[in-house]
Amino acid sequence: MLETAATIPLLDPSSALEPIAHRRQGAVSRQAFLAHVGRTAERLPDSLYTINLCEDRYLFLVGFAAALLRGQTNLLPPVHLDGEIRRIAAGYPGAYCLVDRPHEILPLPQCRLDTFDLNPFLATDSVPNIGADHIAAIAFTSGSTGQARPHPKRWRSLVMGARLAQRRFGFSRGLSIVATVPPQHMYGLETSVLLPLATSVSVCGKRPFFPEDVRRALASVPVPRALITTPVHLKACIKADLCWPKTRLIISATAPLSPTLAAAAEQALDCPVQEIYGCTESGSIASRRTLEGDLWRLYDGLALYEKDISYCVSGGHLAEAVALNDSLMPDGPVWFKLLGRQDDLINIAGKRGSLANLDHKLNEIEGVEDGVFFLPEDDAKITRLSALVVAPHLEKRMILAALAERIDPVFMPRPLYQINSLPRTPSGKLPRHAVRELLARLRSTLANAD
Amino acid sequence: MTHLTDQELEVARLIIDAVYLEDLKVEEIDPEAPLFGTGWGLDSIDALEIALAISRKYGFQLRSDDVEIVHIFASLRALTEHIQKNRTD
Repeated sequence: MLETAATIPLLDPSSALEPIAHRRQGAVSRQAFLAHVGRTAERLPDSLYTINLCEDRYLFLVGFAAALLRGQTNLLPPVHLDGEIRRIAAGYPGAYCLVDRPHEILPLPQCRLDTFDLNPFLATDSVPNIGADHIAAIAFTSGSTGQARPHPKRWRSLVMGARLAQRRFGFSRGLSIVATVPPQHMYGLETSVLLPLATSVSVCGKRPFFPEDVRRALASVPVPRALITTPVHLKACIKADLCWPKTRLIISATAPLSPTLAAAAEQALDCPVQEIYGCTESGSIASRRTLEGDLWRLYDGLALYEKDISYCVSGGHLAEAVALNDSLMPDGPVWFKLLGRQDDLINIAGKRGSLANLDHKLNEIEGVEDGVFFLPEDDAKITRLSALVVAPHLEKRMILAALAERIDPVFMPRPLYQINSLPRTPSGKLPRHAVRELLARLRSTLANAD
Repeated sequence: MTHLTDQELEVARLIIDAVYLEDLKVEEIDPEAPLFGTGWGLDSIDALEIALAISRKYGFQLRSDDVEIVHIFASLRALTEHIQKNRTD
């Protein structure tokens, strides 16, 4: 049905009695939500594109839905730096930002959702339809050349993806979701925006950050509860040693979760920990319970096939096959093992980047003669990139300041070493082992100097 | 450069240990410099590590819905003051 329908309702028609969100003021019914969306849609500027930067998850949800009602497309820049927003907006004339607080130096017109009076006089039962082929959102990945690559998401595909997740996890009616992930990224969008729209679950309007925020957010919503998070947040929550409210399920994604951390989380919150596998291009496509082993199970209707040296996924919510960036090994038609990321791709705290792209940004700084980013493998603490830079006329802080304007904060090198030259081979290649040895030497010199 | 108080020095060391700022020298620290962005160059993942270190050492939990949170992480000085007001150790 969904596969061929010309329109798909904004809300799951069978969930009219379930709330859609929980805010400080209390539960928000789907009828009140529709009124909020309708009033907001009337006030949006005329444009084809919007960049929704709302931090309040409920206001994001309202803005996202209102844009759909107006036939607009939600752009999802991977990084919310002004420069990055400007670069992406340049390809989408007329784009404006939806915000819930004033942003001082944002390079685009701002439409403030927090100043709208959302008190509905008329809650409504009438659910609007959205064109199934409408491009509801465009996600972006960073290519190796420094140009962001767009990945359009049609409304049909997003709704079907949410239904596949519902089928996989069997979310019970009335489940409340608390998410630590931003709604602006694919995983956060799928779990905390599309699940409430396309299924019967509701979402907590907050975006908890510190462990104590997460604990309070969980306690503030009705049971059954699910926590949607990342390994970084889960680790912080477990280490904080808090007394957790009753939770039915934890879902983690964006980076591999270690079995040790999964076991600790299952024990602390007394519920199963599931992981989702996916990428910006494909959305979520598989899951596993971390403690049950290293085999991932594809969502229903999806299939893998080999093409050249990598794998593609097709079927399910995907209108076209998508090439996957990870190397993997199928085990029958629905299971597969993840073997690792392809060399150039890195994933730090859920932010995906390409080392080639970071090198490109580093070397474009005036005064940098040569430079390379490197991901150390031996770090006991949270993984950070290191950088080796040849820039005889620049001070370290100048290089760092120039980098801060160009790259996401999670990719900032720590430490950055200034050196005389990189251990390149005569052909100009930079062998990994040579970089690793140089880094080890620099570290031990520094340690001895202290 | 403003001189660090003993308490600020203690918190600076806690941050350095928590987030692995191996090439930051304590004597170079400006207690008024912003912790995020241009100052210390910390980010949100560091904030999680720092929050954990604070809860272990000083016995209280940081919360982002605290209306003061932006000011708390504004500088080493502000964070140290917040810790002194809230510590239960």
